[in-house]
Amino acid sequence: MSPTTHFNVVIIGAGPAGIGAAIALSKRGIKSIALVERSDKIGGIPALYKVKKGGVRTFIRWSRGGIPVFGEEYARWLSLQLAKTEAQVWLQSQVIEIEAKEKKIILVNPDEGRMTLTADAIIMACGAREETAAERGWLMGSRPMRVFFTKNLLQLIDGNGLLPMRNPVIIGSDLIAYAAAAKLKAAGSENAVMVDNRHSPQCSFFERIYFRRWSNPKFRGIAAKSVEVVGSGTASGIRLSKENEFVPCDGIVVCGELIPNSELALLGNLKVDLPTRKPIVAQGFQLSESGWFAAGNMLGGFHGAEWCYFNGQRVARAVNKFLSQSL
Amino acid sequence: MYDWPDGYLDESVQFSEQTDQDPYDVAIVGAGVVGCALAYKLSQYRLRVLLLDKNFDVGEATSKGNSAIVHTGFDAAQGTLESQLVTQASRQWPEMAQKLKIPYEECGALLLALDEEQHNQLEKIHAKAINNGVDDVRLLSADATRQLEANIPQGVLGGLLIPRESIADPFATSIAFAEVALANGVDILLGAEIVEIEDADKPSKKLVTARNDRIVTRIIVNVAGLGSRKLADLYGGGEFDINPRRGQFLIFDKYSRSAIKRILLPIPTAQTKGVLVIPTIFGNLIAGPTAEDFELDEEGVTDTSIDKLQSLLSGASRLFPALVDQPVIGAFSGVRCNCSQGSYLIRSNDGHQGILTVTGIRSTGFTSSPSLADYLVGELHDKCELELENDPKAVDSRPESSWPGWWKRPFDNDGLIKDSPDYGRIICFCENISRGEIAQHLDSPLKPRTLDAIKRRTRAQMGRCQGFDCQITIAEIISEHCGIPLNKITKCGPGSEIVYEATTAVALEAKE
Repeated sequence: MSPTTHFNVVIIGAGPAGIGAAIALSKRGIKSIALVERSDKIGGIPALYKVKKGGVRTFIRWSRGGIPVFGEEYARWLSLQLAKTEAQVWLQSQVIEIEAKEKKIILVNPDEGRMTLTADAIIMACGAREETAAERGWLMGSRPMRVFFTKNLLQLIDGNGLLPMRNPVIIGSDLIAYAAAAKLKAAGSENAVMVDNRHSPQCSFFERIYFRRWSNPKFRGIAAKSVEVVGSGTASGIRLSKENEFVPCDGIVVCGELIPNSELALLGNLKVDLPTRKPIVAQGFQLSESGWFAAGNMLGGFHGAEWCYFNGQRVARAVNKFLSQSL
Repeated sequence: MYDWPDGYLDESVQFSEQTDQDPYDVAIVGAGVVGCALAYKLSQYRLRVLLLDKNFDVGEATSKGNSAIVHTGFDAAQGTLESQLVTQASRQWPEMAQKLKIPYEECGALLLALDEEQHNQLEKIHAKAINNGVDDVRLLSADATRQLEANIPQGVLGGLLIPRESIADPFATSIAFAEVALANGVDILLGAEIVEIEDADKPSKKLVTARNDRIVTRIIVNVAGLGSRKLADLYGGGEFDINPRRGQFLIFDKYSRSAIKRILLPIPTAQTKGVLVIPTIFGNLIAGPTAEDFELDEEGVTDTSIDKLQSLLSGASRLFPALVDQPVIGAFSGVRCNCSQGSYLIRSNDGHQGILTVTGIRSTGFTSSPSLADYLVGELHDKCELELENDPKAVDSRPESSWPGWWKRPFDNDGLIKDSPDYGRIICFCENISRGEIAQHLDSPLKPRTLDAIKRRTRAQMGRCQGFDCQITIAEIISEHCGIPLNKITKCGPGSEIVYEATTAVALEAKE
């Protein structure tokens, strides 16, 4: 059996929220911190934005000193701050079991195999993902290739220098949707057709103005009560339920509509609201079991990297309070 | 020998050089579950067999979208070949699943009577089951029914327990059959659509593929499913009509699974078997199917549609009321290969000597595949002059290492990650599938190279995020491991490429 290692605080997820929490805890004198991350790098979603062109505004916020930072640069800044702390970082470490009462997690990683960690407090900063077609409930039809999420798009364009489509259809109309349209146009595609089951775009007017710099997607609103994906090998278009209108395309991006990654909370039998998947948090970001906390986009809602970073710090303060009270 | 065009395989064979002197004994057209099972059974004899399909993986069409139930045949129409084969197969499955390393679970099924009228029918269904040779069914009182399943409607009036109704991995089944067949020397050619048949009336028949292979064979078996009519037209087969019947399903997240232990069945009506709630071997719940008739070759036969899924959900929630609040993670459509002239339509020497037409294999084909294949071997022997001589060297099982990782977790094996760290490198976060498992399947006998083929083998991309986290990573792993450029990676073969073309997004940045 694998040995058990004990930490004051274990943080699950090394995105902006998790790193923010680690830095804040460290500043409060907590030295024994484990930061557990399932992917092979820290920084979360911002780290995927490697190319500035068509980048998302949320990640270009003015960090300290008024310097506009961007995606991967922000992630780099986070990792620099993190390096100053004594937090242990475990990459490629996937949590496979949770015993909430014992504040115990079991994870798997390539170096150690199975590892058991226990802690006085555990923060879940697991982020969010984009709603699938089925979860949206109004996107049906066939299931061809080239129906991507924004994350896939970033991995292809910024990560591999590949343009997946020339004539995109974007599903959704929030900030992420406009960013996806900008990312595609900047990489060489045409202006996207943007489809959502609402009257006007979810993204604010000012944010839309910002994205004009790169692209000017054609918004199709409530016309789409339901949308059918068309295409056998690859996506060839969408059919809007109203008037049975066909919009040709050679790729579709299913954008935004974030849904919290609350799987691990459910795995540990912590209370989660279904079907919204928002973990149920009490005051001080506490989950339903004592000593468990949630931070960042996992709390639900739609937040940029810096909000998550500061939220991680706020949660760290709550954790610090919890630790000093339980001593 | 194993090949698919443009598959980036090391081995490649030119069929155009095959001569009349060297024909295959049997060419099986259609590598669905029935075609694969037949190849598996024939591989036990000293024969030259070819299994071919127009798709780029086995079990890629009708066989991939179904309820994955291994039926006992308790409610099958009495006296039919279908009923006989299903009942037989259901007894063969436990041992076969173990041999072929197909994840299989005897979870049982519970037929629920929700009103007086339905309750009156239970007795009749019970008698029918006994008559069909399914003698282990049990009539249950309302209390006993509720005791078995806590989350069914409180008002249930009674039930029928069918203990041996089971669930299995539908993808692994076709794959397992094909892998063993391949190991026994059956040739498999994928991505090969038959466009012409020459000399159908002669002892040496020639199958011509779209890429102009000319395959010489003594016997042709048409198990092409929805494509069986088109193929039959090429050799002048007898009359039959295929009417695809679409069945849509909703997939629920794993957290819903613990609420239900058994397959929940409604009392069937004259028109339909109704909507079922089915635990899957993978640990999800699914609800379905719908029954929607399509014309052959009509578009959209594998699509999902919003209104049907909504009515499906309300149907399923009559059996399990809390289902409406469970998170749906996906929807899929399966197509039943319905034949107007009757199910399990089997014609020996159809049109010409040495041609066997097998069609109308409906949803029960997954269950019946082993016994149906035995039956077909018999037909070939009795009616098509196929000599059967046992091959003592033939194997009938897959090695222990063939169990999929999601079934026997690599990380439960302490030493494995130490030796091969990739088994500890989790790529698909929803289903906990490692890079090692993906690589292992890329190196498996059928050399899957497509995203869907990897999905069906490993379950990576099949979880709740539906590829949000891992789709591109998996494409990168296929690319790296097999030396295929990333932009050539496909979902299910040529025509489904991941990207439109290579671009220089990074170079554009430099200009800015």
